[in-house]
Amino acid sequence: MRLIGPFAIAVLFAVAADAAEPLRVGMELSYPPFEMTDTAGKPAGVSVRLAESLAKNLDRELVIENITFDGLIPALKTGKIDCIISSMTATPERAKSIAFSEPYLTTGLALLVSKRSPVVSAADLDVRGRVVAVKKGTTGHHYAASTLKQAGLLVLDKEAAAVMEVTQGRADAFVYDSLSIYRSHLRHRDTTRAVLAPFREESWAIGLRLGDESLRKQINTFLDRFRADGGFERLGDEFLADEKAYFQEHSIPFYLR
Amino acid sequence: MPRWLAHVIVVAVFIAAVIVAFSRVHYAWNWMAVWEYRQKFLQGWLVTVALSLASLVMSVFVGAMAAVMLRSRHAIVEAAARVYVEIIRGTPLLVQLLIGFYVVATAIGLENRYIAGVLLLSLFSGAYMAEIFRGGLEAIPRGQIDSARAIGLTPWQALRLVVLPQAVRLVLPPVAGQLVSLVKDSSLLSVIAISEFTLNAQEVNSFTYSTLESYVPLAVGYLLLTLPLSALARWLEHRFRYEAA
Repeated sequence: MRLIGPFAIAVLFAVAADAAEPLRVGMELSYPPFEMTDTAGKPAGVSVRLAESLAKNLDRELVIENITFDGLIPALKTGKIDCIISSMTATPERAKSIAFSEPYLTTGLALLVSKRSPVVSAADLDVRGRVVAVKKGTTGHHYAASTLKQAGLLVLDKEAAAVMEVTQGRADAFVYDSLSIYRSHLRHRDTTRAVLAPFREESWAIGLRLGDESLRKQINTFLDRFRADGGFERLGDEFLADEKAYFQEHSIPFYLR
Repeated sequence: MPRWLAHVIVVAVFIAAVIVAFSRVHYAWNWMAVWEYRQKFLQGWLVTVALSLASLVMSVFVGAMAAVMLRSRHAIVEAAARVYVEIIRGTPLLVQLLIGFYVVATAIGLENRYIAGVLLLSLFSGAYMAEIFRGGLEAIPRGQIDSARAIGLTPWQALRLVVLPQAVRLVLPPVAGQLVSLVKDSSLLSVIAISEFTLNAQEVNSFTYSTLESYVPLAVGYLLLTLPLSALARWLEHRFRYEAA
């Protein structure tokens, strides 16, 4: 939780006798199945696996720093971490303050709509009296803050609270990425509808400090190799098999690649 | 050395230390990005002022009620107040807000999150106030009340003319401290999407990635609220000291 503050979990690798600086990767461990903790409290998920492979590839020890999402970029800029692997969308606004690797995943913004709401698509959101929930600091938040002028905006700290606003009918819709929306909808089938076709496509990338060109090159080389080796394919099958099948079947863009 | 000069010196040294500390951090300041959002800061600050004022008044009221109930002769009334105080003081405000809003407020059909927020914050702070008030009332020796009754004052007159003037003076410093805490605790209302000062500063941070530039105004904004509160408490203390002497 935000009050406890960032705490660090060191993951040691078998690359002993290596004097290289550890690779400090920042992520918010509250976005399963990408960033989460296992039942023993250890970091787990797609991004953790990706970070492990990256560190191994660079022959550096891995340190995962658990930092709230809106604290990741400041942590990167002040040198507390070396890169961000936290399902972060590479947006033009963010690119003003940090650099990004090549994208490794394509998804988009979707809507979790309350059954009581007349909203059918994103075009129906910007109406006086409509209430839109977002998670603070996400691309959904940026989208809503910059494009929705008439609708009321509820800014929440936690995804769970934003979902609750929708299930209780206090908010018309929650704007978030299509995968999360799909999962929330499965848990609340009787109170929500999901509008999954992304009304805004996004791609996720690894965040780096501006000017850190050597690490950026290394990471891009690693991503190419990981992709060629079928690494993303395997991660997708392991963590996201159901979702992958569902999204493919409904031809909704969602690719780990 | 006059008092005011001592204050000026201490504040000047403090500001100098802060400036030195900040100048040592290699940080690319970007005040322009934050300045664009000044309207947002102001709106958030005004919401915090309104929430704080409403909760301040209500928590004093709730605390006084609970203090009287804590001293009740009726076992049920006393037990109710005791359970309220212990549950509120023993659990995190964060949990009280989440359950209070998403479960209790929903159950009783209270839709307005701002009203729910003020109620929950007042209940929270009221529990602390209750114990402060009870301590103040119980600090007045029983003998004074007996004496007051002996010279013919009614129980109400004894309370109003003998007990309260002394008790108020005793409880003012801790009450002032509690009210200052209350103002800052209002920042937690952001968890139920109340658009107060802290949430707005965090939003500006997430839009501009200018963390320190967003949070320094936040600290100043809270001081603008809490310092007058402390000053008011000291002034009242002075007044009641004079009256009781």
